[in-house]
Amino acid sequence: MTDSTAPLVDVRRIEKTFGDNHVLRGIDFQADAGTTTVLIGPSGSGKTTILRSLNVLETPDSGVIRIGEVEVDFAGLPTKGKDAREPVSRLRAQSGMVFQSHHLFPHKTVLENVIEGPVQVQKRPREEAVADARQLLDQVGLAEKADQHPFQLSGGQQQRVGIARALALKPKVVLFDEPTSALDPELVGEVLSVIKDLATEGWTTVIVTHEIRFAEQVADQVLFLDGGVVVERGTSAQVIGDPSEDRTRQFLHRILNPG
Amino acid sequence: MRHVLRVLALMLLALVVVPAVPAGATPDDRPVVRVGTEGTYPPFSFHDSDNNDLTGFDIEVIKAVAEEAGWKLEFVETTFDAIFAALDAGRIDVIANQVTDNPERQARYGLSDTYTYSRGVIVVKAGTTGITTLADLKGKTTAQSLTTNYAKLATEAGAKVEGVEGFAQAAALVVQGRVDALINDNLAALDYLNTTGSDSIEIAGNAGDEVSEQKLAFRKDDAALLKQANDALAALKADGTLAKISEKYFKIDVTVANTGEADLSGGRAPRSDAEIVQDAAWPMFKKLLIATIPITIISFALGLVLAVAAALANISGSRILSGLARAYISIIRGTPLLVQLFIVFYGLPEIGIDLPSWPAAILALSLNVGGYAAEIVRSAILSVPKGQFEAASTIGMGYWQSLRRIVFPQAARTAVPPLSNTLISLLKDTSLLSVVLVTELFREAQNAASAAQTFFPLYLTAGVYYWVVCALLAAGQGRIETRLNRFVAR
Ligand SMILES: Nc1ncnc2c1ncn2[C@@H]1O[C@H](COP(=O)(O)OP(=O)(O)OP(=O)(O)O)[C@@H](O)[C@H]1O
Ligand SMILES: [Mg+2]
Repeated sequence: MTDSTAPLVDVRRIEKTFGDNHVLRGIDFQADAGTTTVLIGPSGSGKTTILRSLNVLETPDSGVIRIGEVEVDFAGLPTKGKDAREPVSRLRAQSGMVFQSHHLFPHKTVLENVIEGPVQVQKRPREEAVADARQLLDQVGLAEKADQHPFQLSGGQQQRVGIARALALKPKVVLFDEPTSALDPELVGEVLSVIKDLATEGWTTVIVTHEIRFAEQVADQVLFLDGGVVVERGTSAQVIGDPSEDRTRQFLHRILNPG
Repeated sequence: MRHVLRVLALMLLALVVVPAVPAGATPDDRPVVRVGTEGTYPPFSFHDSDNNDLTGFDIEVIKAVAEEAGWKLEFVETTFDAIFAALDAGRIDVIANQVTDNPERQARYGLSDTYTYSRGVIVVKAGTTGITTLADLKGKTTAQSLTTNYAKLATEAGAKVEGVEGFAQAAALVVQGRVDALINDNLAALDYLNTTGSDSIEIAGNAGDEVSEQKLAFRKDDAALLKQANDALAALKADGTLAKISEKYFKIDVTVANTGEADLSGGRAPRSDAEIVQDAAWPMFKKLLIATIPITIISFALGLVLAVAAALANISGSRILSGLARAYISIIRGTPLLVQLFIVFYGLPEIGIDLPSWPAAILALSLNVGGYAAEIVRSAILSVPKGQFEAASTIGMGYWQSLRRIVFPQAARTAVPPLSNTLISLLKDTSLLSVVLVTELFREAQNAASAAQTFFPLYLTAGVYYWVVCALLAAGQGRIETRLNRFVAR
């Protein structure tokens, strides 16, 4: 039903309130296959909530999200029962999520973490899943850590396993929520370079980050959010290099000149 | 969350229905008559220390009656204080345990013709002066099984009555000077003196002048069985069978009135404590293996399932489910296990749910464990970081799969130490099961103790058995904890 020129990700008029806190106020954006979209904005502006909505860890109050072939109109979604769960799980399967604090399964080895979804959820043959997982681990530079447990790894290594776990399900889009914020500064580089590689390999990604220099290098599209609205959008050269809105300028100034 | 309800319902069904299926019909067509007896009241009803079989004067009499009347017997052992409740609840059909005739019992039960004439005696610590008649008991304390005729005699004489489980325990209290006297059947007292070889207590005098008459007790509405019993007793009296059984135990015929002094010296020989323990050690070990441990394991497993269901219901967010779970937990934690056992075994039959001993015991213990473990499981689940649920959701897992593969393995780490305590308590709680007529390790110790008329060495042995198993469990707990902790940075 979607022609090949349609964007891979299509987000329209997303609204979300927590209690009386109106967090997302009509979010619209599109992302083409193979592109990197970066969300920036001050704390509390709704960046995490947008990512969680794409993965349906939060359910928007209304609006439409389409990823690939799967489209869900949240306004008409029942709140309970199979009719609610089924579209949610189909949409969720379209994206993979990398958390700020990795949330690896501590009782499983690195390899088991990566094959858990493919084997247990996608029911793929174990040998095949293991082969793929080893290749992914090799790609993130952790081939020799396959049989260790998460507690034996450094923060940067743990985050890279988190990335491999998300990729193993072969999602259409990979979502990153501040993947380096919880890391010691000297570990940030190794994680960013893995993410950068993904972009060149053709993965479609949506990234929330405060690493403005990194955003400049990888982003095909940058969205600046404030107060639950997309204040400014464009290429990184436009939004970061030459912002047209005051709020964007102030934000960039604050974040690039800390203290 | 509908799953939780379904699982709960299924489990209750499994508990109630599966064990309720009868164990298969008897091949012959003789009517089955269930006989209630203490099994701890020598020389009338006790376990032979050689082969552990139930035997005694009353047992041989009821067997002869059954032979004559064409009954097939099933023996059900219970404490005297639960024996009439068991008859009322229809768990047994007749009591063969030296039930003494009195007007109250005549009014309530169908009592047979007399098969034992004896008299009550007052037993005191050797050397006691001043207690020889019932009148001397005024203001004194005696030790009795509460529902016996002798307890009634003592109360009427103005004595304070301490409730005990049987003759051996009463005698111990007298020897230790904790009570002033006990009243019991002269035959039981003679058996005690003879079996223990003890000279620390003595028969001080008769408890009144009346000869007491002991009878079989049936339910009032069971006239047919009563008639068959009376016919059989008459025939056995006529052909000398009763006299023969009596002479074996007492050297005289106690089945007719006034035949002289009984002599029990040819009865069971006194044994040393070491011999007593030696004789009982193996039967007790067997009961540990075939009753105590299996019941503990089954009840713990079912209890855990209940606990998980209650914990999930509690945190489900549904008001009804969490309300139900909290009510269940509150009731279980707020009532004594003994009460729960009585309700399940003696109360449920009133509403038509008549569970045999083992299923009743397992049901009550599982419900108990479930109530206690539910809170442990709940806090263990809540101790798993929310991010773990989310990570599981993100990779596409549903509710149950997330619980099973991601949450439970991590919750186990928190839950194992307190659950081990629950398991250890459960093991020891099985010692209460004699009230629902399960013969487990402790009941076996009681049997052996009453046959030997001394319980300290046997209860000590039981204690050692429990302790060893608990120590093994504690060691197992340590190993499991080490395993579960190996993935956590220290
Ligand atoms: N589960 C929740 N319940 C209630 N309020 C929430 C919840 N999640 C987020 N919020 C609120 O929604 C608003 C947006 O939060 P969000 O996490 O999306 O911001 P953010 O842009 O990711 O901020 P940060 O840069 O600090 O991560 C905040 O005011 C936050 O307090
Ligand atoms: Mg955030």
